Amino acid sequence: MIAESTREERRRNSRKAEIVAPRPGFRLPKPVRRLQRQAPMYALQAVSALSVRLRELAGRDVIDLDRIMEVVQFVYQQRELAHRGPNYAVDDFGFDPQFTESFLGVFKALYRDYWRVETTGVEHVPATGRALLVANHAGVLPWDGTMIKTAVFAEHSHPRHIRALVASQFMGMPVMSWFLRRTGQAVGHPDDTRRLLERDELVLVFPEGTRGTGKGFKDRYRLRRFGRGGFVSTAIRAQAPIIPISVVGSEEIYPMLGDLSPLARLFGLPYFPVTPFWPWLGPLGMIPLPSKWRIQFHPPVEVAHLPAKAAEDQHLVMALADDVRDTIQRGVYDNLKLRRGVFL
Amino acid sequence: MTPFTPHRVLLTGVSNPLGAEVARRLAPQVPMLFGCDVADPVSALEEMDFVHADTRLSVIGKLVRQLHIDTVVHLAVMVDPAHDDRSVHETDVIGTMNVLVGCAAPSSPVRRLIVKSGQAIYGAGPNDPSFFSEDMTNWDRIATGVTRDLLEMEQLVSEFALRNELCGVTVLRLGLRVSEDTSLARYLSLPIVPTFTGFDPRLQLLHEDDAADAVVRAVVGDHAGVFNVAGDGVVLLSQAIGIMGGTAAPVLPPYGRWVSRLALRMIAGVDMPAHLADIISFGSVMDCSRLESAFGWRPVYSSREAMDALALGKQAELIEAPSPPQEYELQVYLQQRRRRQHQLTASRN
Repeated sequence: MIAESTREERRRNSRKAEIVAPRPGFRLPKPVRRLQRQAPMYALQAVSALSVRLRELAGRDVIDLDRIMEVVQFVYQQRELAHRGPNYAVDDFGFDPQFTESFLGVFKALYRDYWRVETTGVEHVPATGRALLVANHAGVLPWDGTMIKTAVFAEHSHPRHIRALVASQFMGMPVMSWFLRRTGQAVGHPDDTRRLLERDELVLVFPEGTRGTGKGFKDRYRLRRFGRGGFVSTAIRAQAPIIPISVVGSEEIYPMLGDLSPLARLFGLPYFPVTPFWPWLGPLGMIPLPSKWRIQFHPPVEVAHLPAKAAEDQHLVMALADDVRDTIQRGVYDNLKLRRGVFL
Repeated sequence: MTPFTPHRVLLTGVSNPLGAEVARRLAPQVPMLFGCDVADPVSALEEMDFVHADTRLSVIGKLVRQLHIDTVVHLAVMVDPAHDDRSVHETDVIGTMNVLVGCAAPSSPVRRLIVKSGQAIYGAGPNDPSFFSEDMTNWDRIATGVTRDLLEMEQLVSEFALRNELCGVTVLRLGLRVSEDTSLARYLSLPIVPTFTGFDPRLQLLHEDDAADAVVRAVVGDHAGVFNVAGDGVVLLSQAIGIMGGTAAPVLPPYGRWVSRLALRMIAGVDMPAHLADIISFGSVMDCSRLESAFGWRPVYSSREAMDALALGKQAELIEAPSPPQEYELQVYLQQRRRRQHQLTASRN
C-alpha cells in the first residue's frame, strides 16, 4: 500500500521540485522576473508586426523574419549550452553534436550571405551509410572544410554531420585540439579513418593536406600531389564509395603572398602566411575576403567491387587516386568558368 | 590435453587495494592461494597464506618452486605512481624481471602468468591515433617516467612468453582508475583544478571493480595475449571536473609542461607525474574490442559511470571482516597493533 503523503512532502520529493527550486540568494521581484522571461517573445511579436507594416509600406520584405529567427535560435542554443553542465554525452572521438549544431547558425550565415556558396550535386552524398569525401584544400585556414560540412548539413535532404580528418599538428595546438575534436574531427591516421567508416560515417579528407592550404596565391587552383593515395586503400578496405568534391573560391579568401618559415618553425605551425592584410592589420587580417564560392559534389567512385586485396596493389591505388584528382581538377576548372568574377 | 585449471596461485602485490580485491574474489575459486607483498595486507583473508616477500629479490623464485605454484598473478606493478622516481623502475622492471626469472626455471611448475600493465604504456601525444589497439605500442617513443618503465617491463614479458611456450602469459593493460588513491582521482578532486590552457582531452576510465574482475577472469579463463581493459565511452576532462563539482582553471601554459608540473609541486603541493600531464593535455583512449571478443565480457562501468561513482564516493567498497574471527586474522591484528604501538613509541621518542 502506498503511504499517503502530504502535498508538501510530494512537492519536496518530486524530481520537478529539484529542477525548479530557486537558487538561494538575491532574487529580482516577481513582476520583473516575469517580464524577463517574456521579453524575448514581446520583442519578436513587435518585430513581426513591424515587418508586416514595412512590407505593406514598401511592397517587399524589408525585415527577413527567418534570419531573425536564426539569430534567436543561435542565442537560445548558446544559452542552453552554457546551462547544460557536465550532463552531455560525446562519442568516442569526442564529437559533441549539440555543441556543433549551435555553431551551424553562424556557418550557415557565412555560407549563404558572405561567400554566397552555390552547391551542386549534393544528392551524390548518400543519405545513410559510409562514404569517403575527397576535396581540394586551399585557403590558409580550413574554411573549405567548414563550408563542405555546412553544405551537406544545410542542403542535403538528410542533414548529416561530416567528420573531417585533420593533420596531427593541429591536435597539439591549444584551443584547436579540443575545438576540432568537439566538432567531430579526427586525426588523419589510417586507423581513425577506418574506424569512422566502419561506423558508417561520412569522412572528409584533404589528401593535399597543408601542401594545399599553404601554397602561394600564384599557384591557385593547381592541385598538389595527393599524398601517397592512402585514402584510396582505406576506402577499398572499408568498401566505402569515394565522392570527389571540387571547391572554388577558397583560394581567394586569404591571398597568400609569402611564407615566413622561420616564424612558422618557432610556433610549431606548418607555415606562417603573409597576405595583404596579415600580419600587418593584426587580428583584422584574419577576416577572410568575401569571394564567391562554388562547391561541386561529383558522382561517387564505387570501390565495392574491388577485393580487399586490391588495397595493397599500389599500381591500382595510385591510378584511382589520380582519377579522383583529375575529377576534382576538372571540376575546379569547370566551376571557375561558371563563376562570373572572383567577388561576384 | 585437458584444459588447465589453476590450483596453486601466487599473487604478488596483495597489499595494494587492487591486489586485496583480487585475492578476495579469487579465494573461493581456487584451492590454494598465496599472497606476497612487502607491506602487510590491508585486510586479512582466511583462505590466503601471506608471505612477506619482495619481488625485487630472488626469494620469489624459491617461493614459486617450494610452493609448487602453477599460476602467478603479478600485480606488484606500479602503473600510476604519484612521483617519477627510481622506485618505480625498481618495482616495475627489476621486480618483474625477478618474477619472470622465478617462473622461467627449466622444471618450473608455472603454467600461467598474468601481468598487470597500464594504459600509461601508450603514452599520449598529438600524433597518436584516436584509439590505441594492443599492437600500437610505440617502442621507439622517447618515453619518460612510467611509460618507459612499462615499455621495458612488457618487453621482458613478451620475451619470456616467446621462450616459455608452455606458460600462457596474459598481459592486462588496465585503463586509468579513479579510486581515491590514484593520481588522476587526486587531481580531479581538487576544488580548483588547474588545467592546460586550450586543452580538453578525452579520458577513458576503469572502475576498480572491473579491474579486479578482469584479473580474476584472466586467472580462471584461458586467454593468453595482451589485452586493453577500460570502460566504454569517454568523458571529457571538463566534464569530469564538472561531475566532481570542481572548477576548471585553465592557468597552466600549454607549452613546456614540465615547468607547470614543477610549479604545481612548489606552489600547490600537487604532484603531477609526466604521464598524467600528457594524458590531461592530449588524452588517451584504448580500443577494448579484443578483450570483449576473447573474454566474452566487457567492463560493467562505462567511463562516465566510473566518474559518477567517484563523485558519489562509492568507489571504494569496504571489505567486510569475515566472521567468526579466525586464528590467522587474530595474528595479523596483533601484529598490526604491535607495529602501531611501536610506531607510537618511536614517534614519541
